[in-house]
Amino acid sequence: MADEVERKDGGAGRIEGGVDAIVVGANADGLTAAGYLGKAGLKTVVLDSSLEVGGLIQERVFDDGRSFLDGDRLLNILDAAAVADLELYRHGLSYAARRLATTYFFKSGDSIELPGDLQAPAQNSTDFDVKGFAQFVEDVFDTASYLRPAFESSIDKQSNVVTLDQLLHDASADFAERIKKFTVSDAQSIIEKYVATQSLQSALISETVFRQENSPQDAFSFMALVRRWAGEIAGLQGAIGYPAGGGETIIASLRRAVQSFGVEIRAAQPVQSILTEWDKIAGVELERGGQIRAPIVVAANSAKKVFLDLIGPDKIGVDFQHCLSALKPRIASARLMIDLKGAARDEETLSNMQRRLVYAPDSDALRRAYAAARAGEVPEEFVLEAIFPDILDDETRSDDRHQMFVTAHPVPFKEKFNDDWRATIEAAIRENLEIFSPGISERISNIICRMPADDAKATGEDAASFAARAGVFQQFALSSIFARNFEIEGLFFCGAESQIGTGVSCSAGRSAAQRAIKFARTVEPMS
Amino acid sequence: MIFPVEDIFAEAPRATPLYAAAASSSAANVWTSINGWSVARVYDAVETEYEFAKNEAVLVDLGALARYSVRGEDAGAFLSRLTTAPTPRLEAGESARGLMLMDNGGVIDLAEVSRLSDELFLLTTPMRHPRRLKLAARGLKVVIEDIASDVGAIGVLGPASSEILAGAGLKGAAQRLAATGSLRGVETAARPVQFGSVAGVELIFPEEEALTVWERLIRRGGVAPIGLDALEILRLESGAPRTGLDYTPADHMRPETRRTPDEIGLPHLAPLDKGWFNGRRALRENPRPAGRRLVTMSVDADHLSPGAGVFAGDKPLGRVTSCAWSPSNKRVIAQVDISTVRIAKSFEISMVSTDGARASAQIFETLESKAAVAYYDGM
Repeated sequence: MADEVERKDGGAGRIEGGVDAIVVGANADGLTAAGYLGKAGLKTVVLDSSLEVGGLIQERVFDDGRSFLDGDRLLNILDAAAVADLELYRHGLSYAARRLATTYFFKSGDSIELPGDLQAPAQNSTDFDVKGFAQFVEDVFDTASYLRPAFESSIDKQSNVVTLDQLLHDASADFAERIKKFTVSDAQSIIEKYVATQSLQSALISETVFRQENSPQDAFSFMALVRRWAGEIAGLQGAIGYPAGGGETIIASLRRAVQSFGVEIRAAQPVQSILTEWDKIAGVELERGGQIRAPIVVAANSAKKVFLDLIGPDKIGVDFQHCLSALKPRIASARLMIDLKGAARDEETLSNMQRRLVYAPDSDALRRAYAAARAGEVPEEFVLEAIFPDILDDETRSDDRHQMFVTAHPVPFKEKFNDDWRATIEAAIRENLEIFSPGISERISNIICRMPADDAKATGEDAASFAARAGVFQQFALSSIFARNFEIEGLFFCGAESQIGTGVSCSAGRSAAQRAIKFARTVEPMS
Repeated sequence: MIFPVEDIFAEAPRATPLYAAAASSSAANVWTSINGWSVARVYDAVETEYEFAKNEAVLVDLGALARYSVRGEDAGAFLSRLTTAPTPRLEAGESARGLMLMDNGGVIDLAEVSRLSDELFLLTTPMRHPRRLKLAARGLKVVIEDIASDVGAIGVLGPASSEILAGAGLKGAAQRLAATGSLRGVETAARPVQFGSVAGVELIFPEEEALTVWERLIRRGGVAPIGLDALEILRLESGAPRTGLDYTPADHMRPETRRTPDEIGLPHLAPLDKGWFNGRRALRENPRPAGRRLVTMSVDADHLSPGAGVFAGDKPLGRVTSCAWSPSNKRVIAQVDISTVRIAKSFEISMVSTDGARASAQIFETLESKAAVAYYDGM
């Protein structure tokens, strides 16, 4: 089949054949899908519009010319099956830190620490509800293991909707009842029931709402924490890992794995449209002109881009299209890349920086923050997550400065805004940073603050796909609509909307590819 | 094109542009409301109006139907997405019937599309669908305008309709194609229509000219207005189901109880071999669901009420959704909603008439049922 391939830079009017599958979008999910397809022996081509593959994991340049690597840096829900199947460790995935401890800071000036292994005995001050926390962790982990099949979108098209009862069929009646209660409850009431101390409550609540659309008082919000802790890094549920080299390592190892299976990656090849003939996929049309014909297309861009721009509203169902645009995001997170003057020298400070720092506002402050963000105003306080990439990963350490990567949540979601508004948000976040270390904002020499709209502009995607994630069940419903109900034969979707939970996961790409491979075995190859 | 179910609880229905003329022609003065517009049920006597439609010509005020103009580069794509009518293959002047479907294949409504020029279409539906039209237009270059309140519309139906039109100055208008012309100085669009079992022409004109047009048509004689009750007999004879009465629109139902084109007896209006439309994928997966069917039957009874039971032997099959005495068939014609699982076993169907006795019923061949059979034969 492969020897029929004519082209390289075919150019306008050229029609290229002999391809079994096309992957549109070379982000983590797209590359994962390509890896599976290549491994299954399908002649696969990956197309991406930008020069550098990797989606959001890109280099950003400060005003003074120094650069900073942007993107998801911490891993907590990376799909273990994809890592094993694509042999990512062999292709360069390695961790600089895999059981990252987290220190939670509070407005009072207190702090508590949670170990990387949440089930390890916590060593904290006396003001820590050890017993309640241990019970909480155990119950959440048990819940997570029952619900994991749903989280990993590994439900294929043939099977019907998986109900909670099916997932819980071998759980005891008592436990099943408790899990059902978890699924509908709000985070605050559950956490308050389990743990007694207020600081621990704030810490867990901030962990739940981080990068989520739902506030801790909203129904269903507790599931976000269950999803997060269902992730397994280095064999530990709920652990957080930092890959050596940052998020780019994931992309690089995926790319090497993909190429080792003979898949061709073509950067700077924007796709004009996905071609359909009747109800079947026929291939793609390139922006530069020319077509690539294939019976399978795996699309890893956002749902709006794939279904409305690339396929076109005249070929998709009216009610399906309504699902695409029914959710209007109001909340987002801001990413800050910060260059700090002066380097820490003493061992104690360095070891304190070798962890994940979280600022956890108390529940009233968080409630006010969500109310403000939903109303489009800048909140006074944020949940902040900060890491020092250069401390976590020695390779990038410099003698006279540190890099700091901060995610702030919640900020209002806006599709368009001016520089003044960005400056207001930036100033509010800087003020909050003082909690970690008084005087830190004085040391900032460079700062880049990025919002969903910036990412949308850079990638040509829909800004809403970079907004905060909706409730876990909303995400699940949406992802199953994309997986099951969309009836163009040969089209498989693994864009942001098909992933459940925040962070780099790759499970949507794996599950889309697995469905595609099953499909490929049932169709005749295209001539 | 047929009227949808009446909205009898509507408060103070609006007057159509033709209301003044219709009211002055109406001896019976019995009115109902459709889509919020006043519609005459009877003008004089149902039998006379029916006979006129069968043998001569009748006028219908069609102002109660929902009407939209669809304009723009993607107008054709929009309509072939929204409806099952074969819009891309229409030449300017041609009209086609179709259905509006949900993604899950459920029927929302009937639809009729006329192409007036390359980028201008006229869409007529029994019921109003403002939200659905808005949803379906997202992402397409198309401008949709609800023109129901801006135009008047008269249906001239019956065997003598072309003579009536010629007499009024629209010579040979719209026998085959939609056309625009002038009826004694009034800018008028005309297009062929089929209303139930009678064919004719629909005239569409600016709202303010409505009374003039009506007057011109009626002055020469040989034509009488027809009300909803007589039209209902013609509708039943044609086998077309009435939206909201014989089936509930799918956008008002749970997915599992929706009715597919096949289930309402109109599979030929959603052909699976003629291009994509909304709902086609669901239909293709399960084109002939074994469930329920709307069937037209003739019943050996003088009288029958909607809601009467339909039986095969002693087993209940379904119910009568609408019915009327047909003078030309000398029997009651009824639309019945029955279970297909049982109908295959027996065709001896009886109905409980209002006097409590069972009456035997036979499948009644209609325009629609013939078209459905021809469609399946061709597959």
